[in-house]
Amino acid sequence: MALSANLLAVPVAAPLLTAALILLLAQWGGRRLIRQQIVLTTLALCLNLGVALLLFLATAGQGQRFVLQMGAWTAPFGITVYCDGLSATLLLLTALVSIAVYPFAVATIDYHRERMGFHPLYLFLLMGVNGAFLAGDLFNLYVFFEVLLMASFVLLTVGAQPAQTNSGIRYVVLNLLASTVFLVAAGVAYGTLGTLNMAQIAERLSVASPAVQTLLAGLLLVGFGSKAAIFPLFFWLPASYHTPPPAVTALFGGLLTKVGVYTLFRSFTLFFPDLLVEWRPTLLTIAGATMLVGALGALAQPSIRRLLSFHIISHVGFMLMGLAVALSGNRLAIGFGLGAAVLYLCHHMIVKTALIMAGGAVELHMGSDRLASIGGLVSRQPYLAFFFFLAAISLAGVPPFSGFVSKLSLLQITLDGRHWLVSGVSVFASLLTMINMMRLWRESFWGDYKRPSRVPSRILQSSLRQRLMLTPIAALVLLSLGLGVFGEPAFRLSMRVALQALDRKAYIEAVSPAESFSQPLPIRAAPHTSVGPFPEEADLLDRGRLIVDHAR
Amino acid sequence: MMVLLLALAVGSLFASGTYLIMRRGQVKLILGLALLSHGVNLLLFGSSRLTEGRPPIFLDKKAYAETLAWALPADPLPQALILTAIVISFGITAFVIVLVNRRHTVTATDVVHGEFVPLLREGDPFDFSEHAEGYQHDWLAYEIDEVYDSDDLLTGLPQRQFSEEDESAAMEEDNYQWP
Repeated sequence: MALSANLLAVPVAAPLLTAALILLLAQWGGRRLIRQQIVLTTLALCLNLGVALLLFLATAGQGQRFVLQMGAWTAPFGITVYCDGLSATLLLLTALVSIAVYPFAVATIDYHRERMGFHPLYLFLLMGVNGAFLAGDLFNLYVFFEVLLMASFVLLTVGAQPAQTNSGIRYVVLNLLASTVFLVAAGVAYGTLGTLNMAQIAERLSVASPAVQTLLAGLLLVGFGSKAAIFPLFFWLPASYHTPPPAVTALFGGLLTKVGVYTLFRSFTLFFPDLLVEWRPTLLTIAGATMLVGALGALAQPSIRRLLSFHIISHVGFMLMGLAVALSGNRLAIGFGLGAAVLYLCHHMIVKTALIMAGGAVELHMGSDRLASIGGLVSRQPYLAFFFFLAAISLAGVPPFSGFVSKLSLLQITLDGRHWLVSGVSVFASLLTMINMMRLWRESFWGDYKRPSRVPSRILQSSLRQRLMLTPIAALVLLSLGLGVFGEPAFRLSMRVALQALDRKAYIEAVSPAESFSQPLPIRAAPHTSVGPFPEEADLLDRGRLIVDHAR
Repeated sequence: MMVLLLALAVGSLFASGTYLIMRRGQVKLILGLALLSHGVNLLLFGSSRLTEGRPPIFLDKKAYAETLAWALPADPLPQALILTAIVISFGITAFVIVLVNRRHTVTATDVVHGEFVPLLREGDPFDFSEHAEGYQHDWLAYEIDEVYDSDDLLTGLPQRQFSEEDESAAMEEDNYQWP
């Protein structure tokens, strides 16, 4: 199956054009055309899912890479759009999450927010996320980051409840600071390397001085790490995620931090493969601290959504651990750690979204999500209780579900690398996750039925709305079950994705940037160009192959 | 010399932006964000070397070759980058101003609080027992839906219902009950 590279434009263009159309519709038809807005948004989401599925099958399934040079300008001069297995996996997951949250959002979002443009904002957010996954140069990555941030700012604060504006300020300022750091990194990259194209940066960084490498890696780690909510930079997340409506929290929890994680994966494997080995102690320390702080902080939260959103941080730690051991050459091949991290990413996006939606459903039914004042919902909402329970134990890592496979493989590679401390911390964090989930379940579903709000929840009186809320939760939980039951093929696929992402040479060849005169290169005569391109990686891959042969 | 000046300008913009962001007032926050974005823009400007008196685009090849012989042409790309960054920061500054204004209307305060200030003010945040009912954010929009649907609020903003004494208490921002 030969796909055209032009398909790469669809995940960005389809949401953008549909959102523009919807805005036009809203301007023209006003409040009567909400239903048409919903239909159009659903169509765009379906189109996005279809294209993402095609791209995933072609890249992760058959090992292809797609490069689209916008306007046929060759690489360093034009805008490069790039898609390989890693990008396509995340595109597919984004499409799944957004299409799963959408019915929930339609059922639960209030009319005021719909009138204020909830549906186009949803599409703009999707466009920003997709664009960030597809960007092939640093500045476009920045632009798409800003697109998704802008959409998320408005989604977070639309409705203007006092709590929302409060959290909105913290969220906006901390995220803007992270973007500033990232833009500084882009400026430094252009000043020292003379290019913004990611393939060309990778090419030139391997002969650049260590100072430039360290500076750029540090800036990118702070910028992207702040988006991903790693240990000392996570404060914007627990400050804001509990204030918007549950549907928005589910969407944010499923998508936003994962963009940061993806960019960390991409930038470290592509730009700094040797720093990935050199900085392993630092990265593992950050990962361990992130896991621990996320799980312990979640333990201290008094309400469902605060707990779940604080818990996202802990999972980011697991993914960072996988990235840190990605090049460790253990477990028979290079890339095992990254493969496990990619699998964990899939598991996390699916299950976390389902869980936040289920928690939101509990909150909507009870009128409050404060754990101390609710309880006994299992008698009124047995299906919700059932799926909440399955999602919770999947997140905790109980065997038939996807959490088990991904956590096990991450733990295997970490133990193989003899990183005893961080693996111990990860096991402890998993235990805390279990405790957290059991606490959620016990406080909200068991015991006597008590409901703090005396106002009957209008939202749950309609059975159609209830079904719209339950179906996506059930679908995501079943997906997680499938990912767990078919663990081996899923893991093999994610290994292939990881190996493809680690293959820097193929990335550079696929984009094939031409040499440009546009900028004087400060490092003209590189000291060790004679060693050949990318000695460190060739060396590592050879060693990986040796280990494989030895095992056979 | 110009490079030194540029570096000093970037550094002082960053420093004053950071200082202003760390203050409590929201207007200072806006100014700080603006200064930071200016700092980044200047840094981007400096990333293309400070060239003087050289054109970025040549129309005939001969002039291009002659110029290349003694120096490289000016680089127009960072200016495009700065233009994009300016547009983005302009939009974001506009959004932050509206957000701060709305927050001022809704909560009647200019001060940015930490996350757990309301929790601590109302008792032990780790007390999950039933008696610790004080903190609840029942913002639930469905109850407010009726306010919006009633169409008599042109501003689209729910007015908070204060009794007489509550209002005077809310003015003294310390006694304000956070939702």
